[in-house]
Amino acid sequence: MKINYQDLINFLSEKPSKEDLSQKLFQLGHEHEISGDIFDMELTPNRGDCLSLIGLARDLAVFFGKSNSIDLFNGDIEPLEINFENFSPKDCPKISFLEIEIEDSKVEYKPYLENYFNTIGGNKANLFTDISNYISYELGQPTHCFDAESIKAKLTFENRECNSTFKTLLNSEVTLKDRNCVFSIDNEIISLAGVMGGASTACSNETKKVLVECAYFNPESIIGKSIKYNLVSDAAHKFERGVDIASHEMVLRRFIKVIQDHAKIKSIKLKSFTEGHKQSPAIPIDVDKINKILGTSLDSNEYFSHLKGLGFEISNTIKAPSYRHDIKTNNDLAEEIARVIGYNNIKSVPIKLNKITNDSNDGHVAKLESLLVDNGFTEVINFPFTSKKKKESINIDNPLDSNRSSFRTSLKDSLIDNLLYNERRQKESIKLFEISDIYTKDIEIKQQKKLGLIVSGRLANNHNDFSKKLDDQYLNNLLVTDLREDVFEITEIHRNSLDTKKKDKIYYVEISLEDIPKSYFLNLRANKKAMNFVAYKPVSEYPSSTRDFSFSIDDLSKVNDVIAMLDEVSDELIKDSFIFDFYKNDKTKIVKLGFRCIFQSNLNTLSDIEVNGKVQEILDPILKIEGVCIPGM
Amino acid sequence: MSNLDNINLLSTSKGLGSLHPINQTKDHLLKLLADIGFEEVYGPEIETEEFNFDMLNIKKSHPARQMHDTFYTEGKNNVLRTHTSPVQIRSMLESKPPIAFTSAGKVYRKDDDATHLPMFHQVEGIYVDENVTFANLKHLIHQILHELFGNNVEIRFRPSYFPFTEPSAEVDILSDSGKWLEILGCGVVNPIVLENCNIDSNKYSGLAFGLGVERIAMLKYGVNDIREFYKSNLDFLAQFK
Repeated sequence: MKINYQDLINFLSEKPSKEDLSQKLFQLGHEHEISGDIFDMELTPNRGDCLSLIGLARDLAVFFGKSNSIDLFNGDIEPLEINFENFSPKDCPKISFLEIEIEDSKVEYKPYLENYFNTIGGNKANLFTDISNYISYELGQPTHCFDAESIKAKLTFENRECNSTFKTLLNSEVTLKDRNCVFSIDNEIISLAGVMGGASTACSNETKKVLVECAYFNPESIIGKSIKYNLVSDAAHKFERGVDIASHEMVLRRFIKVIQDHAKIKSIKLKSFTEGHKQSPAIPIDVDKINKILGTSLDSNEYFSHLKGLGFEISNTIKAPSYRHDIKTNNDLAEEIARVIGYNNIKSVPIKLNKITNDSNDGHVAKLESLLVDNGFTEVINFPFTSKKKKESINIDNPLDSNRSSFRTSLKDSLIDNLLYNERRQKESIKLFEISDIYTKDIEIKQQKKLGLIVSGRLANNHNDFSKKLDDQYLNNLLVTDLREDVFEITEIHRNSLDTKKKDKIYYVEISLEDIPKSYFLNLRANKKAMNFVAYKPVSEYPSSTRDFSFSIDDLSKVNDVIAMLDEVSDELIKDSFIFDFYKNDKTKIVKLGFRCIFQSNLNTLSDIEVNGKVQEILDPILKIEGVCIPGM
Repeated sequence: MSNLDNINLLSTSKGLGSLHPINQTKDHLLKLLADIGFEEVYGPEIETEEFNFDMLNIKKSHPARQMHDTFYTEGKNNVLRTHTSPVQIRSMLESKPPIAFTSAGKVYRKDDDATHLPMFHQVEGIYVDENVTFANLKHLIHQILHELFGNNVEIRFRPSYFPFTEPSAEVDILSDSGKWLEILGCGVVNPIVLENCNIDSNKYSGLAFGLGVERIAMLKYGVNDIREFYKSNLDFLAQFK
């Protein structure tokens, strides 16, 4: 909701600067952003009463005082004879109809109204609708303007089953379904109550006689309708959060006054229908309770003063103003007091708790994680949604899309997708795992914590393992220690059903943690590494370029130097580097050392010239060492 | 040291894998809270409406309960939990105060855009005892944020609204660029919630807080796009060794 600073301070007796106003709005819990004079407010859903100038001013008055600047029509109003029946007072306990006839609707807007549309109001529609929108901005009460000449028969309000198309005043067609609160004439829906009126009874620039509907709709009756029918509606936003049932007289007298500012009025008639409305409960006065909730030491005078500043009535009990639907208990009052004092001004008091000494992690999970991470596995976390529906799948009633309509029953498909994704990103040695709860249904919902791991490609990027492949023997060696071999079932996933041209075999293991005997964990240890929040570097989306070098070192005393220099190879464009081959010929006393360097830029695809330049920088100092060369170079 | 040992060292140091940064952050938060005195409790991701909403004073008319915000399963029998608070409800029903619990894990909201994911992680805490006050909550939140962001971090409490706490607050920290960043939500446990868990709200009071793990991880690691965490990209994940 946007508010013009100049408009808001008209409602305050002090005129705070934008900075002071902003600070106090934050203190009261009203988040906002400021652009020039416009405050873009983001109010919490319990504070529907603040969705207007007067609403925010009522809250701010505790700091800046309030100004009685609302100019109301104070003349007599004739009673309106209207053929109306409310079939659902539970949904609409109070409704008023104001009929105004003017001489000419072609008018020039006063500066305050013109300014509203220039800064906040957006497009103008017609005099009556424009004033309705302005009043809603000022006072928070939405009103709807029917062209009175179009209401030719009995008007009804009801909450009824609908299955019909309705054309809104913005000329969009909406198909109403299920139960909705609607206004009808002769069974034809003319307005989706609290959300949007219809085209057939809308005002136009020619309208001279308007029927203004001013209602209190129960929030529960309106909630979800604007989203369901995709109608952007400021009125629905306000009704969903609750408007002030006691404001009709003021709102309609203000409406008349604004009309009067713009046109010559021929007649004014009003009729209200009230079916009773439950008042907010009176709350017993208990300042000790407030202090006990907040940890403060307020006395009664301070307590009452703060509450009165917010418009509360204090007698033998405390009564919230009619617009504060959110106040019911002492905890609610405590929050009011804390807002006035300022959350940041309430002192801090420590609690006394004893450190939990046992491991907060599930020990078995931590041990498995350590085993896998120590052996080069990377943990992934996947979304649990899948399009693959099985008998035991738990299905989502309202999925984001049909590809995500069921809960996965296994970790396998997710891990295969992860593997193929990384293969496409030129990864040659892939070891991934995921530990996650898996949910399936039988008679009841079954929850199992599962470990899934998948491997493919080179055993590792080092000189011992580079030419070996990850296989079932590797997994067997890693996972099977003193156990029966059938606890971890290692399966090969064949590539013929996968979207890939790679040839390396894929092996997969999935096991429910409860199926791993406790004895298995006796030989494992959980590494407790101190947390190190390293600064992340953005990942490149450009292809990498690989260069291999085969060093020949005929002076064994220089091997260490070469290794140390290779270890220090580092550059913004070098993504990875490792020794992939090491061979010492005992006869010739020559060491052959293979080194791989992978280049990648975050800015572009590297050209051969750029890569070769970097290669030169790496090789030059190493090749200066006596007895070190790259044969053929 | 022999040459070969050197090569082995080089290989080994580069051959380590890594835990997922979200799980690392979650475990870090849990450890931090365990050191203060919070014990971790566990619960299911598929929940009843009763535990996910009703027991937490989230009324039937609350927008969060609409089909466009919450995933429902199996003919509206259950929901994918929208927060880890129901775990605390389950634990409170089985315990007597004083209690200090944390619950952590995956939660689900029907959202999928540049800044929201349908699944993310929370760490929540609740403490119930006699004479627990908002002043205690303030101290605890300061303690947590000082552990996470250093003792000099500037902290701001703002009134907010959650059905399960009253008073409720959102807490911001001041970033290096001078912008306030929202970090967590918290409040004094609404007495209705205590009564729902058979805890006498005249005798006991509580405080509760919840942190978004992705939010903390993004701030601590400097990751700008939340979706990076769930691409399973080894170039990304391998950075968090």
